[in-house]
Order: sequence, then structure tokens, then C-alpha cells
Amino acid sequence: MKDSTVIHVSNVAKAAGERQLLRDVSFDIEAQQLVALIGPNGAGKSTLVKIILGLDPHFTGEAVVRENERVQYIPQLVLHDHHQLPLSVHEYLKIGTTPLYRGMHSSVDFVSALKHVGVSETVLSQSYRSLSGGERQRVAIARALLAQPTVLVLDEPLAAVDYASRPGLYELIRHLQTDHGLTVLLVSHDVDSVLPISDRVLCLNVTLHTDCHPSVFSDTHLQVPSSIEHHC
Amino acid sequence: MELLAYTFVQYAFLGGITLAILAGVLGPFVVQSRQSFSADMFAHVALAGIGAAVLFGSSPWWGALPTLLIVSTLIWWLMQTELYSPDALAMFFLSGGLALALALVHLARDTVFSFETYLFGSILTLTSNDLVAMGAALVVVGVVVWYLWYPLIGATQSPRYLLPFKKTPQAVLLLYFWILAVVVWIGIKTIGGLLIGALLVIPVLTARSWVHSFNKLVLSSVLVAVVSVVCGLLIALYVDLPPSSLIIGMLILLFAGQAGAKSLVGRG
Repeated sequence: MKDSTVIHVSNVAKAAGERQLLRDVSFDIEAQQLVALIGPNGAGKSTLVKIILGLDPHFTGEAVVRENERVQYIPQLVLHDHHQLPLSVHEYLKIGTTPLYRGMHSSVDFVSALKHVGVSETVLSQSYRSLSGGERQRVAIARALLAQPTVLVLDEPLAAVDYASRPGLYELIRHLQTDHGLTVLLVSHDVDSVLPISDRVLCLNVTLHTDCHPSVFSDTHLQVPSSIEHHC
Repeated sequence: MELLAYTFVQYAFLGGITLAILAGVLGPFVVQSRQSFSADMFAHVALAGIGAAVLFGSSPWWGALPTLLIVSTLIWWLMQTELYSPDALAMFFLSGGLALALALVHLARDTVFSFETYLFGSILTLTSNDLVAMGAALVVVGVVVWYLWYPLIGATQSPRYLLPFKKTPQAVLLLYFWILAVVVWIGIKTIGGLLIGALLVIPVLTARSWVHSFNKLVLSSVLVAVVSVVCGLLIALYVDLPPSSLIIGMLILLFAGQAGAKSLVGRG
């Protein structure tokens, strides 16, 4: 593992009974790269993310994030969770920035954080559930940034967001990544949207079969059987 | 109203209000973590502690506290392993606690002891020492919840939203289990182990549709719980029914009332 490597994945495999979820997955992500992890449903993208984040210890191989990196995770948005209890936007932001979690004591400017992601400060007193899908994800990104991360992991962040809002949100992610010098792992099956903003594309379908620059990526990479690897 | 001059009645109101405040504060965390069953589970675990205390000749209520704290730590640890689902664990400890309690009391050969006091509460028999213990528990739980307000909301909401590389959310969850154990411990003395779950959950269900923040949800839940306890106890002074039944009856009435009001507002 090189000094510049932030996320190191080596020979990761995981099975659930007879079914192989991941097989021999290896790659490194360098500092300040925006890497898109793409693949069809059931390819093992979210499973791999959980392993990288340390949320799933049941696997073989090695998956590590460089020591002292501050990681923030933005999972897939659940729009219609009727059992969720009321939570104001202000409380939602506070949860992610309480000193106990991020180990630092500094005053936090929620208004600026919201403006930074293109959301009006008037939502602070509103219920988080009352926001649109796009607004919720912008607020989630604001909360993640308030924790001053060095690594951002986004798992299908716009899956529940309407199509019209997606380009703007992807642009926001790229813009923030550049501004803050973040290392970003962006998981998506929305290939057309993530290619323009990515530095590198990893295509996963149980095993990693493509690792290339977005400019040379084509649809044929998605159709390659999982046993063949491409490094372009 | 001359009944209110009796010390045991005043103690009942003080103990009931203390429990209502604790349950109102903690209830939203319980419902949010989708572990409403946990109150019942802890209550049955407490019965095992009570059984052990009866066997060894010590105070049953005080015997329940260390058992609750130890077993809640064990349950927390088992949940961290993610080997078993929370509902399966709840049923395991619920049944296991009750079975162990029955065995221990049988071994004690105590013909006077009855579980009924702890299953359905005995709020009219509270002593000044009980109230001191409840007051101390209120202060401890209050300080923990006040200081860890946002971490508790985060930790009980869903672990996936939290920083995955730190142990703090897990530590906060352990503290949450301990304070829930303390609230159940107070509950078995007042409203009863089988009924404390209602005081934790129903006020939250009553208030949730009317507020937009967790902060207000907790305040509203406390209000609903206190009103139910006070009204239930007041009615119990004049109606020959168990106070616990009347308190839960008030909770259900308030819930039904708000559901009806919400329906009317929705149509309007």
C-alpha cells in the first residue's frame, strides 16, 4: 500500500451460503480522487462499501482506509419511511456534528453549510421528512461536510431523487470534492451521470472487471462477463 | 380530595410523575430504535433478579437492579455481534427471564411472595426510600440524556448514519440500554413490569403526528405520560380499579382522541 493510497482493497471475497457476493476484488484509491463504483443491481457494490467502511466484518481479504482519515458515509436515501419519528433539519445536522462523534469542539455554522449546498436556511426549523428527495440529499451532504471529512463515501446517493435534480447534485458533489480536496468513492448504477464527474471508473459485477478512465469507458465494459478483467 | 392528604397517596403521585417523566423522555428513543419490545424483555429479566433476591433473602426490587444492568450489557453485546435479530433476542430473554424467575422463587419456598406486585405494580405502597431511589434515578438519567442528547438520537436512529470507524455510537447505545434498564426498574415498582412498555410507547405514538422535531416529541411525550399518570391516579382514588389499569386506560384514551382529532384535521 503506497503512502498516497487512501482506500486499499485486496482480494476481498464474500459469500452468503451458496451465493458468491464478491470474488477476488482488488483496487486502490489514491488521495483526492473521485472514483465511481458502478455495476448492475446485485453486483455487490453496497456489500463492498460496507466492508470498506468496517460495517461488515464477515469477509476474506483486506479492506482498509488509511489511518487518521476522517470518513463520512452518505447512504441511499429512504424516502417513504413512515415509521421514522419527527426530526427537524437543525436536529439532523446536530446529530452529525456533536463533539462526541467527531472528536472536536468548534462552533458550527449551519446556515453557511446549507447555503454551500444550495439549500435555504429557512428549512432549519422544518421537519427533515418534509423536504424533497433532492433537498434531503443536499442536507445530508451538508451534514457530512460539517464533520470536516477527508473521505466521502456515497452509496447510490441519488437513487431516490427525481431525474431533473440529479445533474445538479452530481455537479455539487464534484464541486465540493475539488473545493475540499476530498477523496470520494461514489457508488451508482447511473453510469451516464457519474462518468462526466469521475476521475476513474470501477465496474463491479461480483468481481472487478473494469478499472479505467471515464473517457475510455464504453457500454461494452458493462456487458463483459465477470470472469474477464479490463485495465484500460 | 381529602384522600390527597394521605402520605401514601402523595407518594403515589410523586412516584408516578417521576416515572412518567422518565418514560416520556426515554420513550421516543425506544420507539425510534424500533425496540419497543425491549421494555417487556427487561421487565422479565428483572423478574429473574427479583427471584434471585427472594432466594437469597434480600430486597426483591433492589435485587432486580444489578440483574438488569448485567443482562442489559449482555444483550447490548449480543446485538453488537449482529448474529441474532433484536426481536429474537427479546423473545429469548423474555421467556428465559420468566422461566428463571419461576424456578428461583420455587426454590426459595417463599409462600408469601407474589410476582403480581412486580408484574402489575404497587404504586400505592411506595415508601420514602423508594422515592429517594426514584429521585436519584431521575437525576442520573436526566444528566445522561441531557449531556448525550444528540448522540443518543443518532445512535438510536440507525448506526449506518454514524461514523463507522469509532466506537462512540456503540458506547452511547450501551448507556442507553443502562438508562432504559433503570427506567424499567422504576416501572416494575410503580406501574408494573408488564405495563411499563405502554408508558414508554403510547405517549410517543400519541404525540408524533403533531410535532416536527424530536425535541418537541420528547416534551409532548412527557406531557402525555404525566397527564395520564395524574388522571389515572385521581380516578383510582374514587373508582375501585387498579391504578395501573386506569393509567394505561388514560393513555389509550388520549391516543384515540388525538387519532380522531388528526382524522378531522386531515379531512378539514
